[in-house]
Order: sequence, then C-alpha cells, then structure tokens
Amino acid sequence: MPLGEIEAFLLFLVTVFIFGNLWFHFVEAILRWIKKLFIRHRKPPAWHTLPPDEEDRKK
Amino acid sequence: MGFFSKLFKGPEIDMEKSNANAKKMRALFNQVVEGGDNYRLIFGYTEDVSRFNYGFVHGSKTKIGNLIVGWNEASQTIVVVPTVPDLSGCGDPTYYRRSEILKAYRNKYPTDAFIIYPDKKGYIGINAYDWLEDEKLYVYVSQDEELAAFTDFFMNRFATK
Repeated sequence: MPLGEIEAFLLFLVTVFIFGNLWFHFVEAILRWIKKLFIRHRKPPAWHTLPPDEEDRKK
Repeated sequence: MGFFSKLFKGPEIDMEKSNANAKKMRALFNQVVEGGDNYRLIFGYTEDVSRFNYGFVHGSKTKIGNLIVGWNEASQTIVVVPTVPDLSGCGDPTYYRRSEILKAYRNKYPTDAFIIYPDKKGYIGINAYDWLEDEKLYVYVSQDEELAAFTDFFMNRFATK
C-alpha cells in the first residue's frame, strides 16, 4: 500500500473520530437541556460543607 | 534506593494525605449523623453504568458516586453519606437497618460489591477497596483494617443470605 493511501486512510479515521466526538457531545447537550426542563421545579438535594478544622479556627 | 527498585515497588501511599482525608470523612459524617462517633467509617463508591446509542455513535458511560459508609455493630446499621473526592461537602445520610431492609449480600460478578436492597424498588451497590490512587475520581484514603472489619461485619452480621 503506498504511503499516500495510508495517510489518507489515517486522515479518514481521525475525521470519523472527531465527528463522532462532536456528535456525542451535541446529543448529550440536547438531552441535558431536555432533562433540565423537566427537573426545573425539583428542590436540589441538601448539601453540607466541611466544617472548619479546630486548628484552622484558632488561626 | 535505586531508580529501578523504586520503579518496581509500585505506587506508595501518602499516609499524611490519607490521614487528613480520614479526619475530614469523620468530620463530615459526624456533622450529618447523630451519634456519628458510634460508627466506624470506610470510603466506598457506587458505579452507575449506562449504555447509549446515538445513531452511529454508541458505547457506555460510567458515573462514579463517592460515599462515606459508616457501620454500627451493635445496632446492625449501615449509614451511607454521599460526598465528593475532595471531601469539601456531603449530602444527607441514608440509613440501612438490618431489621428494616429487604436483603443484603455480597456480589461476585461483575464486581465484589456490597449490595443492599432497602425495598423491592431499588438497591445500592457499594464498592470498597483498601486504596484507590486516582484522586480525581475517588477519595484518597488507605483503609486496609477498616475494610477488613467492614467486610467481616457485612458478611457475618448484616448479610441476609
């Protein structure tokens, strides 16, 4: 197989890979947006932050 | 120590970091669980694997959820508190009392996770290891002894079959 053909094939693979990635993130973004619409009114889960350390408090 | 002997020894645990994280785990747990000091703690995680098919692109996605798992031998209770790898905060605790759960057992395949079914509707699979190196995904803590104690408790006093 000549070098030119190998390069063209590799370029094709890279193009497929890049397009596949873009497509994946595009669909994910749409799904995330749709999900957000449905859970807009739901209360976010409670979150407790780490209390400051005793040594930090003294400082 | 030579370069090669260091290379073949594998990764070493930073005990200072591990102890600091164990302290943070305790502080977070005690903040949200009443009588938190009555529980022994380990770090565990859940894995949520989902398959996707977006036309010509398909595969699987894995979501990791970090957990602080506390257990009390006397009351045969496991408490699970969701957290994040840097231990900057935690969520509300969930209690699994042996007398109230549907079933609990240790999985064999695909992972040896600790499975608890609180009811017929859902379950939680807790994965736990003595140490996980990836700090971006998991809490950096070394817990050989605690894991052995938890495994013993789960298998001999908590599991239902």
